[in-house]
Amino acid sequence: MAAPMELSCWGGDWGLPSLHPESLTVMAYAKFSGAPLTVNTINNSWSTPKADVPVLISEDTVISQPAKILNFLRKQRYNADYELSAKQGADTLAYIALLEEKLLPALLHTFWVEAENYCSVTKPWFASRIPFPLSLYLPGKMSREALNRILLTRGGPPLYSLTEVEAQIYRDAKECLNLLSKRLGTSQFFFGNTPTTLDAFVFGFLAPVYKVCFPRVQLQEHLKQLTNLCRFCDDILTCYFKLTITDG
Amino acid sequence: MSLVAEAFMNQLAAAEPWPENAALYQQLKEDQILLSDNAASLAVQAFLQMCNLPVRVVCRANAEYMSPSGKVPFIHVGNQVVSELGPIVQFVKAKGHSLSDGLDEVQKAEMKAYMELVNNMLLTAELYLQWCDDVTVEEITHPRYGSPYPWPLNRILSYQKQWEIRRKMKAIGWAGKSLEQVLEDVDQCCQALSQRLGTQPYFFNKQPTELDALVFGHLFTILTTQLITDELSEKVKNYGNLTAFCRRIEQQYFEGHDKDGSAAASARSAKRSLLR
Repeated sequence: MAAPMELSCWGGDWGLPSLHPESLTVMAYAKFSGAPLTVNTINNSWSTPKADVPVLISEDTVISQPAKILNFLRKQRYNADYELSAKQGADTLAYIALLEEKLLPALLHTFWVEAENYCSVTKPWFASRIPFPLSLYLPGKMSREALNRILLTRGGPPLYSLTEVEAQIYRDAKECLNLLSKRLGTSQFFFGNTPTTLDAFVFGFLAPVYKVCFPRVQLQEHLKQLTNLCRFCDDILTCYFKLTITDG
Repeated sequence: MSLVAEAFMNQLAAAEPWPENAALYQQLKEDQILLSDNAASLAVQAFLQMCNLPVRVVCRANAEYMSPSGKVPFIHVGNQVVSELGPIVQFVKAKGHSLSDGLDEVQKAEMKAYMELVNNMLLTAELYLQWCDDVTVEEITHPRYGSPYPWPLNRILSYQKQWEIRRKMKAIGWAGKSLEQVLEDVDQCCQALSQRLGTQPYFFNKQPTELDALVFGHLFTILTTQLITDELSEKVKNYGNLTAFCRRIEQQYFEGHDKDGSAAASARSAKRSLLR
C-alpha cells in the first residue's frame, strides 16, 4: 500500500483528463477508490511506453490492461465496490460486457476508422504526442488495428460491405446507450450514491464520445439526447477531476 | 441488414403463423459438432421449446455453409432462413411469440447485458479452448471438424477455420491469454451468473426468458461434453444452483420428447463419442 504507483496513459483535451477510453477508466477508478496514482501522460520523450497503454508501474510490477490494473488496485485495498452486493457485482460484469460488445466498435469507428474524424482530429492529436518518426507509424497502426477488430468481430456475412457493418455497429451503439440511460434512470451513479467500477467503465467509454469535437458526430448527437448520461459524465468531471466543463 | 430490409422481413414473418415443419439445422451430432456450436444449437432449441414452438432438428455436414451468416444453428421456417439466437428471437417475436414481454425496461437492459456477458466470456472461452489450446485442437477439434470429408479436404477446412478463429482472438486480445487465465474468466462468469440467479428458478423469477435458454445451452453443453480434462466442467460444477438450473430446464423442456432432436440424448451421445 505504501509503494508509489505510476500510471502511464494518454493525455487529455476538450476538458477531459484523457482521450483514451481505457486510460480514462483507470483514472476514474483511481479517483473513486482514493488510490494515490501519479499520472504520467505520454509525451514526446522516448522513455514513456507507447504500446499497451494504460500501464501501471508499482515498484517492480508492470500491469497493462484495465481489468488487471483494477484488480491490482483492489488487492492493494483500493476498492470502490466495497458496498456492492453479490448481485450488483454480477451486474457490473454483465454491463461491462455489454459496453465492450455493443459500444466499443462504434467508439473505435468514430475515432479511428471514420476518415474525416481520423484525418482531421485523431491522427494529428496522437501524432503530436508521439516522438518523430514513430508519429508517422503508430497512429496508422492503431487505426488498422481498430478496423481489423471491427471487421473480425462484427463483419461476417450477411453484412458484406463496410457501410453495412458501420450501419449495424452504430445501431447497436445507440441501443446500448438507450439501455444504459434506462438503467441509470434518475440516480446519480449506477449503484446508488457512490461511484463504483461500473461507473468508471461507463464514464471511460462515454466521456470521449461526449466531449471530443469531431466533424462526424452521429453518436455524440444521440448521446446528447440522453440527458441523464450527459449529466452523469459532467458530474464525474466536476466532482472528481476538478476541470471546468467549458474547456475546449 | 438495413432498416428497410429488416422491416420488410418482419412484415413477411408476421404474415404467416408458425408452420408444423419448421426445421433447425446443425452439424452432425455424433461425429462433427463442436462444443461451441452444440451450445448455440441447444440454446435455440431450448428457446423454441420455451415458446412452445415445434421444430425438428436436422443434422447436415454442411450446415455451416448453408447458414446465411456462416454460423449454426439456423432455422428454416416457411420460406425464410434465420440464423443465430439474436435474429431468431426477433423473428419469433415478429410472429407474435415472446418470452421477455413481461419485463420492464430496466430488466430488459439487464437481460441484454447478461446475454452479452455469456457471449463475451463463455462463448469466447469455448472457442479458445477448441481452437487455441494445442492439445484439444489436435485430439478433438481437427478430427471432429473435418470428419465428414475425405483427406485432404478435412485438414484444409479445419486449418482454415483455426486460422480464422485465431485471428479473431488476436484482435480482441485473447491470443495472449493462457489456459489458466481463460478458465479464471469462465469461473468469474459462472460466479456472476450464479449470483444473479440466486435461489430463483429462472433469471427473471417465475418465467424463463431467452437469457435462460442461452445460459442453459452453454452450461449444459459444458457439463456434458467430455474434453481432454474436466477443468471446464469443474468450474461450472462449483456452483450448485447453476447445475440445478440446468437439470430443471432439462427436465421441464426436454425430457419426454423422444424425437431425434432431444437435446439431452444428443448431448450424452456427444459425450460418449468423445470418450477414448
